Amino acid sequence: MSRFFHGGLSDSESSSSDEEELYSEEEESEEEESSSEDGSDSAEEEEDDDSSDDDSDEEGGSRFLRGAESDDSDDEDGKRTVKSAKDKRMEEIEGMIKAIENAQKINDWVTISAEFDKLNRAVQKAGTTTPKIYVKAIAELEEFMNDTVKDKAAAKKMNAANARALNAIKQKVKRNNRTYETEIETFRKDKDAFMVEEDLTDVTVTKKSKGTPMQNVAPEAEDDDGFATVGRGGKTLSYTPESIFKHLRVIIESRGKKNTDRGEQIKIMEKLLEVAQSPYQKIKVLLALISTRFDLTTGSQNYMSVEQWKSAEKEFNILVDVLEASHEFVVVENAEEWDDEEKAPQPEKGETFKIPGSIVSIVDRLDDELTRSLQHIDPHTTEYIERLSDEGTLYTSILRSQLYLERLNKQSIPSDEALNRVIMRRLDHVYFKPEQVITTGEERAWKAIPAKLDSTISPRSKVSGPASELLHSLCTHLYQHDAASVLRTRAMLSHIYHYALHNQFYKARDMLLMSHLQEGIHGADVSTQILYNRTLVQVGLCAFRAGLIFEAQTAMQEICGTGRLKELLAQGVQIQRYQQVTPEQERLERQRQLPFHQHINLELLECAYLTCSMLLEIPALAASGSSPDVKKRVISKTFRRMLEYHERQIFTGPPENTRDHVMQAAKALAAGEWKKSSELIHAIKIWDLLPEPQKIKDMLSEKIQEEGLRTYLFTYAPYYDTLSLSRLTEMFDLSNRKVAALVSKMIAHEEIAAALDQVNNAIIFRKGVELSRLQSLALTLADKASGLTEMNERFLEQKTQGQGGFQEGGQQRGGARGGRGRGRGRGGRGGREGDREGGQRPQKSVQFQQQSGFHGGAMKT
Amino acid sequence: MASPQDVAAELAQKYDLTPKLIPNLDRHLVFPLLDFLDNHESFDSAEMVQAKFDLLKSSNMTDFVGQLYMSINNTDVVPEEFGKKKDAVLENLRSLEARSEKILGLLDDAEVVSNLRSDKLQNMKYLEENHQITHEMIDVLFEFGQQQFSCGNYAAASDLLYQFRILSTDSEKTAQATWGKLACDILRTEWESAMEEVTKVKDLIEQKLYNNPVAQLQHRSWLIHWALFPFFNYDAARETLIELFFSPAFINTIQTACPWILRYLAAAVITNRNRNRNAGQYQKQLKDLVRVVKQEHYEYQDPITEFVTALRIDYDFEEAQRKLSEAEEVLKSDFFLVATAATFVDSARHLISESYCQIHQRIDIKDLAKRLNLSQDEGEKWIVNLIRDTRVDAKIDYKEGTVVMNHPPQSVYQQVIERTKGGFFRTQVISAAVSKA
Repeated sequence: MSRFFHGGLSDSESSSSDEEELYSEEEESEEEESSSEDGSDSAEEEEDDDSSDDDSDEEGGSRFLRGAESDDSDDEDGKRTVKSAKDKRMEEIEGMIKAIENAQKINDWVTISAEFDKLNRAVQKAGTTTPKIYVKAIAELEEFMNDTVKDKAAAKKMNAANARALNAIKQKVKRNNRTYETEIETFRKDKDAFMVEEDLTDVTVTKKSKGTPMQNVAPEAEDDDGFATVGRGGKTLSYTPESIFKHLRVIIESRGKKNTDRGEQIKIMEKLLEVAQSPYQKIKVLLALISTRFDLTTGSQNYMSVEQWKSAEKEFNILVDVLEASHEFVVVENAEEWDDEEKAPQPEKGETFKIPGSIVSIVDRLDDELTRSLQHIDPHTTEYIERLSDEGTLYTSILRSQLYLERLNKQSIPSDEALNRVIMRRLDHVYFKPEQVITTGEERAWKAIPAKLDSTISPRSKVSGPASELLHSLCTHLYQHDAASVLRTRAMLSHIYHYALHNQFYKARDMLLMSHLQEGIHGADVSTQILYNRTLVQVGLCAFRAGLIFEAQTAMQEICGTGRLKELLAQGVQIQRYQQVTPEQERLERQRQLPFHQHINLELLECAYLTCSMLLEIPALAASGSSPDVKKRVISKTFRRMLEYHERQIFTGPPENTRDHVMQAAKALAAGEWKKSSELIHAIKIWDLLPEPQKIKDMLSEKIQEEGLRTYLFTYAPYYDTLSLSRLTEMFDLSNRKVAALVSKMIAHEEIAAALDQVNNAIIFRKGVELSRLQSLALTLADKASGLTEMNERFLEQKTQGQGGFQEGGQQRGGARGGRGRGRGRGGRGGREGDREGGQRPQKSVQFQQQSGFHGGAMKT
Repeated sequence: MASPQDVAAELAQKYDLTPKLIPNLDRHLVFPLLDFLDNHESFDSAEMVQAKFDLLKSSNMTDFVGQLYMSINNTDVVPEEFGKKKDAVLENLRSLEARSEKILGLLDDAEVVSNLRSDKLQNMKYLEENHQITHEMIDVLFEFGQQQFSCGNYAAASDLLYQFRILSTDSEKTAQATWGKLACDILRTEWESAMEEVTKVKDLIEQKLYNNPVAQLQHRSWLIHWALFPFFNYDAARETLIELFFSPAFINTIQTACPWILRYLAAAVITNRNRNRNAGQYQKQLKDLVRVVKQEHYEYQDPITEFVTALRIDYDFEEAQRKLSEAEEVLKSDFFLVATAATFVDSARHLISESYCQIHQRIDIKDLAKRLNLSQDEGEKWIVNLIRDTRVDAKIDYKEGTVVMNHPPQSVYQQVIERTKGGFFRTQVISAAVSKA
């Protein structure tokens, strides 16, 4: 244990140097102070030691705390300051009590209230035991207060501020005095004796304090070991099960204040945990301990040390164990605070006692801290891998907390919201993993959990079942139970991502389209948007693997076409050329980064995207030839730009990177050299990262052959009168039937002006269909004119909305729009049912035509 | 090698949609389907009898069920429970009849009927004041109708439900009665009134379930399945139903809940060719169909949709030809489509040759005849008919045994004229509308 402590200390010191550089402004002042203290041989510590000295002086026992002092090299110094500090504090306290007494005389409750607060603070600073004069003061104050309250007439005369202060202090005193009930009792019994006693203790204390430095001589120069010995000795003296709550209280109250040594507190609580006996005590100590561990790390730039994280994780498991063992205690967020001083609660059989706290927050925090540390560790080191192995234990913890919350639900304590959060965490840990990994992870997690526990949402019996079932059950739970749609959206995206990863393209696409996520995603929070982008890209890759080039291109277009790939997928900060990024923005962005193991391979993505674009763009370019509306039908701007750039180069060397490969392949394809193009594409090494690379390559070759044929026909049609099909078959190494089908398709769609001659098995090109420039311009003009009319109609329709269509065309359009509106409304709700296979998937195709890009009909039509 | 018959039977079984249809149909509507399968002898007849028995066990057609029971167990004795049930049913019917006597009598009274208006509340008030009719009595009508339906007296049930619907103010029950009446009309093969009911049910779904998309979907898919009965048995309904199925709400339902309906839709669209005067409409429907079939390609495939895919998406004529013969088998073993099989094949051939002619400039008649499963002479006749019907610009070269198509390219001038044709009129309409507003 002391090892942890040691580690903690050194860590906080090292990280404090980081802090100085990187802290955000609001925290800066505070942190600066503490870190400077930390740095200069811990002035803070010294002070703390002082106070602990005070403790031990008065209490006469805490030798363990004294042990901490031994860390300081200047023990003597410390001792000297002890006296003065203590005296000073006592003086302070006395001064405040005087002030209160004076104020009492003039009935000034405002001053009393202020002084009382100050007094309490001072006493708390002074240590765990209370000075007698303080007890005396508060006892008297209570009496006086009670007198005043009873005197109704006087109370009425008071001014408003005064009365309010009186009321406030009434509450405060009541609460405060309960803490010191026993002391006040003894004081009231015999006032004089009480005060005398104090002197006596004072004497004993001084005696003892003389003894202690002797002990410290030995461990002074030593490290942890000596430290521990003292600790053990101290424990037996000061930490008894009865005093646990008192210690805890002090610690909890000092939380969030400056100058508290959290490492020290953690040590104390670890001791407390050892002595704690009843489950209630354990729970309380654990809750406080874990949150203090979290408090050790502040700020957003640094992460929790591994040791602290591990012990927090371990303690969390103990906590859940305890809760599991004693069902009468539950930790819930909205419980009432129980006054520990009176006595530990003894819930009756069958009753449950609620302890305030939050299991979910602990899990959340553990998860966040792990992520944060993964963000900071260089992913190419073994350290990263070691850290990553902690994910397994974390996953187990998440699962346990899920089980715990499910139990709470069964005990009819509503914890739906918390349960949803935990399930979402669980989803976050599995959605991006391939099936086998999920299954092994599940098995391991369940193994670590006591056999008697089981879950209704994701039963143990299904551990070795297909991972998609697990995903399905988790997501379904969120669809059904999450009232706020944030988690639902995320669950849906994770679900789609999972399907896309496992090659179920249609399922993924249908879910994506039917959930209508793309309509509202711009209003979602950034992390959800990132998840959306990831999902979209993953769907695109899935389509690519399935050989659906068009779908793949449209899906990836939106993300890959922007050139801000890294930023959109949160996989690294991109240097922005024209835009100033404030440090604040940059910090936020860094925070959002995904840990490396969740990344989608960007190069692979780009490669797939460019290849798809090539297969679509090259024939389109060839088809449009020199007609004036070339610019209009750009499929991928990025691709075009790259191609143009590539064409401008005077020298083109052999391809080096992926991009070069694709560009040269595109050029070859445009020239009708499909073999060369295919070779170039095959030479890209990154395909090996995909499962079954050979299949992908074969698929690509086939596509290249087909598109090559099309490109060839588009490009060279004007130079031919007839063209034999068998010649084409030979040229493009395709089957006869395939060539016939491809050519027929082109003819039927009027892409080429030709017809087939069955007898000679040849294509006969029609002449005179090539338009002159004037003719094609005339056609464009005609199109534009009719477009203009249509626009006018639409505007008028908007203006006269509600008055019915003014003409036939308008009516039709109006009707269509109505239908669309209805469809959308339905679909919006439809998301909830989106997962029920087959049966209940509401409307899908109406909306397809309406949106642009990937969401649009592009995918399906 | 399996004999051709075996192959056909196998195909029929493989693409048998009955199990998918049944959950969407009423007990009584399923019966004709089972009967059809029974006659078709593609299943074991004992099994079919058992299936029928299971189907009708809980209905009130006790006599028939008793017979089925006997044929299953090979006995001549009708078990006692059937007798008892029969008595109970008859008893129930009698009591219902007695209870509804008064109101039925009233409805026969011309004077009363003449006093009824279209406002239901008003009617109710009138009947309550003048003839002491209560809501309970009207509900009896509903119950009586239901019993009659369960006993297989569809005509009586239909009348009762009709009368109930006129009087009742309970919208929930009215909706049920509408469904009931639809079933009755279908079973009585009263297609005209069945079509009326289809429209009513459609409106009901739209209005009543406006806020419940899941129920809406469910009801729509039911309606689609029920409507199959008039669809293929009543010619006049074909056009309306195709339109209904292609309306956005219903095509979505088909796509999401019951893609197998595409088979019926495809068959209907293709066979609709001859009936349809308007060639443009036919082309449009075909285009819609191709689109939907393509979209649902991954979810549902059978020889009929595959035929469409091969012909209109892949332009693979050989494949289309093969699928056509498969489709024929499937159609012959489909309850709804058996009657249209011949028409379908005929229309499909037309489609094939149309596409073929569109793409080719010179066709060998022999080859085309082979493609269409016809002899050379028949093929020639076919071509001549085709040229006459579709007014393709084509000539037969007798010596070479070929057809030469002439595809005149659309002139650019014509194109420009086409595109700008409506502009002036439309602009006029706009300006008129603007000046009005």
